[in-house]
Amino acid sequence: MFNRRTIAVIKRELKNRLMSRTFILMTLLIPLFIFGILAFQTYVMTYEGNEKTNLVLVIENENIIQKVKSEFDSLLYIKNGQISIQYKSMDRNNLSQYLDDNKKAMLEDRISGVIFVPNKALKNKNVEYYSKNPQNIKLFDKLRAPLNSVLLQIYFADRKLSQDEIDFAKEKLDFNEYRVSSDKMIEKEGEGNTIVSFMFSFLLYFSLLLTGTMMMRAVVEEKNNRIVEVLLSSVDSKELMTGKIIGTSITGLIQMAIWMLPLMIVISTSLFALPPDFAITLTMGQLLYFLFNFFIALVTFMGMFASVGAIFDNDQDAQSGLWPLMIIIMIPFFIAMGMVSNPENTLARAGSMFPFASLIIMPARMSLIDVPLWQLLVSIVVNIATLLIIFPISGKIYKVGILMTGRKPTWGEVIKWLKYKY
Amino acid sequence: MYVLEVKELTKSFGKIKAVDHISFNVPEGSVFGLIGRNGAGKTTTIRMMMNIYLPDSGEVILQGTKIGQEFKDKAGYLPEERGLYKKMKVWDTLLYFAELKGKTGREVEKKANYYLKKFELYDRKNSKIEDLSKGNQQKIQFITTILHDPEFLILDEPFSGLDPINTDLLKEIILELKSQRKIIILSTHLMDFAERLCDHIALIERGRLIFEGPLNDIKARFAKRNIQISCEEDLAFLKEAGIAESVVNSGNEKSIKLKSDVDPQELLKVLIQRNIVIKKYAADEISLHEIFIEATGEEKRLSAEEANV
Repeated sequence: MFNRRTIAVIKRELKNRLMSRTFILMTLLIPLFIFGILAFQTYVMTYEGNEKTNLVLVIENENIIQKVKSEFDSLLYIKNGQISIQYKSMDRNNLSQYLDDNKKAMLEDRISGVIFVPNKALKNKNVEYYSKNPQNIKLFDKLRAPLNSVLLQIYFADRKLSQDEIDFAKEKLDFNEYRVSSDKMIEKEGEGNTIVSFMFSFLLYFSLLLTGTMMMRAVVEEKNNRIVEVLLSSVDSKELMTGKIIGTSITGLIQMAIWMLPLMIVISTSLFALPPDFAITLTMGQLLYFLFNFFIALVTFMGMFASVGAIFDNDQDAQSGLWPLMIIIMIPFFIAMGMVSNPENTLARAGSMFPFASLIIMPARMSLIDVPLWQLLVSIVVNIATLLIIFPISGKIYKVGILMTGRKPTWGEVIKWLKYKY
Repeated sequence: MYVLEVKELTKSFGKIKAVDHISFNVPEGSVFGLIGRNGAGKTTTIRMMMNIYLPDSGEVILQGTKIGQEFKDKAGYLPEERGLYKKMKVWDTLLYFAELKGKTGREVEKKANYYLKKFELYDRKNSKIEDLSKGNQQKIQFITTILHDPEFLILDEPFSGLDPINTDLLKEIILELKSQRKIIILSTHLMDFAERLCDHIALIERGRLIFEGPLNDIKARFAKRNIQISCEEDLAFLKEAGIAESVVNSGNEKSIKLKSDVDPQELLKVLIQRNIVIKKYAADEISLHEIFIEATGEEKRLSAEEANV
């Protein structure tokens, strides 16, 4: 398939990259980094601060204070003192007075907020919250269930219902997720596939950007160091570029395969049983598809990174010339990340079959739902067609750019290069 | 017999015509000099010869067929702008460049060792290129150019950036390869180097060929044909004999202007036949440098005239 010169270039690239310290470091660090980011994100999203919340719970009807108190006292965040509640009873007029009197305390955070449960709340379940920070959704999520529970209890108390019936009414509605797919039994769905989907997107994103930047740097170095003309007296630019891209892509693929190894072991053996909540419904075929897709993505994008490297003759200019590539990598990445809430939304579906975007969105989507076969095929055809169209264009820019030194060209000039006879 | 024929090569970059219908022939066993000032189009011509650029029109013929990859394999090319992979080891660098030319195995390794020893770099075999001095990097660069035993050596401004020691070393290599009947094509703007090394010359100015041919012929064409002789005899007879155009006697110092078809050897022969005692003989040989100035000055005048028309 390749001639001896291309193979010589591939061999050099492989030797140069696989043996390098960067490769080994990146292979180890990127997974750590991604799990770090995921953990950090989860931490930030659930972070409430460690400061104590001092609430004043004002209930208009004095008689139910005790009921509310006993409901709250059994809760963990009251027990461990994270939230402390002062109970008071007063009517609306006194409340206004009370708020006025305690304005300073509230502004200075000695009182985090005042909750007012008017008598009307027993009919319409509307309670009021006074605070300098009234949009405290996390706090509401915590208080909603116990308050609701007390209100229900009181509401149903004189209707002669059994405790079972009241308990039923108090019960939250829960969705259990089952995946229906063509080739498997209906299975209960855990968080496992969501994590896999995140992982696919992150790994694709990081790997493409990092491998691409390395590729670009290597091309800039060859151009800057003037090795390229020596090389071109032995190989032609197509052989050189193909060799570099194939070499780099194989390296990238090996790295990705290493990252996929734990996943392969999990899904193909029973050595590690995952808890049912994290069960992964992924087949070996899908994993191989992911690697295949990744290889196509590498070859496509490495060609473009190489051509950006060839346009510029120093790293800084090249770095700032990367924006067109950043756009076509980042937008699909964000779509893939946002898709978790609904993998069947139109944007995700269209994106998974759109040139370039498909390379990043389809793997994430595939891990979340059973993508119809025709869509998978369309995606593969689109990807290969994109590669076949973009590769000669990248090659042309590379060929012209690699021997062009001096002034930094404009994008308009780069487009003109495509018409040059070289 | 010409080994390499360059025919009507033309190349433009946008509106700039870098090379404009250049033709010349490289004879067997010669050192061929492509001369001209910076930016005259030498590098573009050489890149087209190396098949790095595709010409807009024209072609380069190697022993009857258009050049292609085969020529690249047979040629060793030292571009003006040259470099090596800084992080690569000396040994790997040498083998890599040879492999690109299709040479691998024991034979190349033996040769690489031979050259490393010859250039006193054998002990640096496993050093990284970046750890070598600039001069030693240049030596490695020469070795990569000749390691695959090329039939053709194409050197673009070979002496630019070389230190004096390596300049001599490269001259030595060029002459050694010449003695092995290799074909050497070099471009330079340094006329005295060209004069000392080349047998054949092509002068390029503003993308156009001014002249080409054997250096001796060119020198003969541009020779001033002035000869100074000091002797006691009267030399006026040279005019009648159809040898000199004019003879100026100023005492014993005679200034003779030869007719354009007369070889200076002819003059000497006649003088000796007539038993004239020559005390001093000076034929002021024109240098390539003077020819270059004269030829490109003329070119400038011509293009000025063209502009006026």
